[in-house]
Amino acid sequence: MISTKNITFSYTKEQAFILPDLHCDAGSTILITGDSGKGKTTYLHILGGLLRPKTGSILIDTTDIVALSERQNDAFRGKNIGIVFQKSHFVSALTVLENLEMASWLATGKKNSVRAKKLLEQLDIVNQSNKLPSQLSIGQQQRVSIARALMNEPKVLLADEPTSSLDDKNAEKVISLLTTLSKEYKAALIIVTHDSRIKEKFSNRITLI
Amino acid sequence: MITKLAWRNIWFKPLNTILSIILLTASVAIITVLVLLEKQFEEKFNSNIDGVDLVLGAQGSPLQLILSSVYQVDAPTGNINYDSAKVWMQHPFVKKAIPLAFGDNYKGFKILGTTPDYLEKYEASISQGKLFEKNFEVVVGAEIADKLKLKVGDTFFGSHGDAAEGEVHDHYDYTVVGIAATTGKVIDNLILCTIPSVWQMHDTHVEEHEGEHHDEEIHNPIHGEEGHVHEEGDEHYQHEHDPDEHNHEHGEELHSEDTSSLNGEGKEITAVLLQFRNKMGIVTWPRIIAQNTKMQAVSPAIEVNRLVSMFGIGIDALRYLAYGIMLIYGISIFIALFTTLKERKNEFALLRVNGAKRMQLLALVMIESLLLCVVGFVFGTVLGRVALMFISSSAEEDFKLSFNPYEFIWEKEGVLFLLTILVGFLAALIPAVKAYYLNISKTLTHA
Repeated sequence: MISTKNITFSYTKEQAFILPDLHCDAGSTILITGDSGKGKTTYLHILGGLLRPKTGSILIDTTDIVALSERQNDAFRGKNIGIVFQKSHFVSALTVLENLEMASWLATGKKNSVRAKKLLEQLDIVNQSNKLPSQLSIGQQQRVSIARALMNEPKVLLADEPTSSLDDKNAEKVISLLTTLSKEYKAALIIVTHDSRIKEKFSNRITLI
Repeated sequence: MITKLAWRNIWFKPLNTILSIILLTASVAIITVLVLLEKQFEEKFNSNIDGVDLVLGAQGSPLQLILSSVYQVDAPTGNINYDSAKVWMQHPFVKKAIPLAFGDNYKGFKILGTTPDYLEKYEASISQGKLFEKNFEVVVGAEIADKLKLKVGDTFFGSHGDAAEGEVHDHYDYTVVGIAATTGKVIDNLILCTIPSVWQMHDTHVEEHEGEHHDEEIHNPIHGEEGHVHEEGDEHYQHEHDPDEHNHEHGEELHSEDTSSLNGEGKEITAVLLQFRNKMGIVTWPRIIAQNTKMQAVSPAIEVNRLVSMFGIGIDALRYLAYGIMLIYGISIFIALFTTLKERKNEFALLRVNGAKRMQLLALVMIESLLLCVVGFVFGTVLGRVALMFISSSAEEDFKLSFNPYEFIWEKEGVLFLLTILVGFLAALIPAVKAYYLNISKTLTHA
């Protein structure tokens, strides 16, 4: 469960974002849409604790992440928030499997290989697990990103334009994976997108103006 | 895990890494070799001049005299008359005088005529057999015995001069009667015999080639007769000759003041190692001898200092070169880390998203640099020792001087290790701090 209240944010003094409140329960999905420059990605980063808002509170289950210190925030994010980015980033020197293991190690201090393999299997890329991320196709890379975001059974799954670089078939697959897996793992799924292909699929929409 | 990631990152860009490691390896290897060489060189040089206050020899380069007579590396400056040398050898100032007569070699190893005092000076005990007593009996240094597989009872012919290819003296064969214990000094690479052996060997030598045998006739008529028929057999000759020659040697020492008859023989030696009872002599003799005789007296300590200071320039130059390479290594790591940092910003941001702390990123960059340092240092230390092994074997061929590559000078190499780590630390400092202050959101937005 994630809910926000009265979030404002500004990069400079002149420009300020007033971001709408949202509430998303575990297993349900919210779509955030809006034109470029309206602060979609900023909103997502604030939700993920990557940016600190000027005012307001973000409650994930019972923790207000705005009140956390930098260190606590890092630790909390690692354990409770999974993020899928527009372009997949990986530790390029590590294999797919090791990338997933690294995600669990950073958050919990333990390498959860069993879960990593299970996720790769669910995402149908288990045969790629010993390859380097750069050797995978973009669609496969995006699926690995999803696997990594789900590694630590996050309470919130954030996806930033997860389909913008994918073709129709892959885009559909990624969206269905995100929704089914977030339901399965009981994570609140928030997708930021301007991709019209997926807008219709969700009823729960917030549009930034 | 961070260390593992650092390790993987290093090898993800193998060319960069190999360049850095090569630079560090070269630098550490050079410094290691220098450190080891310098120390062992000084040790070898200083251990050999213990107990030698002055060296008396023929005029010429003082350094050459020291090198040839103390270290047995250079050609001798020439010969001196034994009788004129004896005047100084028996001076009351002198505590001990060791005459040296050099003439031949065996497979490149010098055969040196001397007295048992020489072994005593180097604290070389006889590990097998006995000391040389008669002519052509030799005591072999430990290393030679080992290398040439010489045993007590073996015989061999010497070659003239200091080149192994010199003309072979096949009139007399040397018999190994003893093998000296290892000392780590020049004596390990010498074959020692009595001085009269050298004289006798070369008397015949002269006789054969120039038809002159007046020396023989004067001091030993029987010998002279023998000389004409010496094709009959060397052994016979030797047996006849030995006791005689030996008495003669004693005679010389007993009646040292009575030099007139001995002068006529014109016996020559190469040099005399002098140890003084009265240290005044060390200061005054070089001048007195230079002014009054055709010989020179040289202080090995002074010459060695001179030599080391001459080497010192070369060693210093090499050392600066090595430090220069190390500086380049530092810069190369810095550039490598700095440029990859740009490419890896996203990676770092991602690690942070996954819950990595700032400190862990700082540590990651640092560990990468320090791992390179450790790897380079280990390679350098090993390579330096391999190089020293080669240097040692070639120095042994040319100078009969060997170095021990397995010695560790913890103090200096420890400092070198710390210096390496420091360079790695400094090179990684700026990239690491940049990684520490990375703005995740900005990085991901502008990806």
